[in-house]
Amino acid sequence: MKEILLVFVPTLTLVPPAVAASLAMRKISSTALEGMTRQPEIAQQLFTTMLVSMALVEALVIYCLVIALMVAAKI
Amino acid sequence: MTPALGPHLPAIVVGNFLIVAAVLLALGKLATARAPRELPGGVQNAAEAVLDWFVGQARRLHPDGVRLIAPFLATLFLLILLSNLLALLPVPLLRIPPTSYYGATLALALVSVVGVLVIDVRLRGPKAGLLHLVWPNPLQLVTEVSHALSLSLRLYGNIGGELIVGALVTQAVPWGAPLLVHALGLFPVAIQPLVFTLLTANALAIALQGHRAAGAGTERSA
Repeated sequence: MKEILLVFVPTLTLVPPAVAASLAMRKISSTALEGMTRQPEIAQQLFTTMLVSMALVEALVIYCLVIALMVAAKI
Repeated sequence: MTPALGPHLPAIVVGNFLIVAAVLLALGKLATARAPRELPGGVQNAAEAVLDWFVGQARRLHPDGVRLIAPFLATLFLLILLSNLLALLPVPLLRIPPTSYYGATLALALVSVVGVLVIDVRLRGPKAGLLHLVWPNPLQLVTEVSHALSLSLRLYGNIGGELIVGALVTQAVPWGAPLLVHALGLFPVAIQPLVFTLLTANALAIALQGHRAAGAGTERSA
């Protein structure tokens, strides 16, 4: 039972958020690149904003990673 | 060796940060050893490029507070960057990055939050600085706590998680694959200090909004 929980709980905790985050990051990067090609003069600003946005999305997946680690340690 | 999630801070983290601080001070001494020249050479050029970015960020936030804001942002950035980079060396004390311990990243996040508050109080006065914690958003205090949590968890998750993945890959494939993991790990090593510093600067910008509203007519556009 423990082994089954150890396999499924971290997987279910991490995989859906990772998929959702990758879709969000796809949208962020494609929009930022479109903006950079349309207005190259503000490319640096757009790049910085893109980085910060990606970090915020990535943070949500990391919260799930920390929960998965804590649950795996308890199991 | 797996990173600790607990509240205690092992001696290795404190020792690591002390070494990083010593290296940063040595680099600073090296950059300022000679008198600055009109046409800068290699070391002066690099130092000026780094300094210019932080001074530019500080000037955008509060033109009168550059001497307060720029060193704060630069210290956070360089401390995290150097501690992550030195972890790539196979030296016993340095090879585990201190930011892979949650206690260390929480400490850095608390320094960021408290530092923003202190700078706000220094630049706008104690009344305006402390009033910002409860007005106009009564839940601003909760926002500050969640900001500290998110900063610490983001940094811990990226660096600590990379370490865990590296350890698992090394267990599975001891030859060649760890090099790939380390190479891929160079991205978060460089980007996470930048993100940490930018988010701190954003929090400072929000806290100093009172100054922006007052001086909006006199500011240059970006």
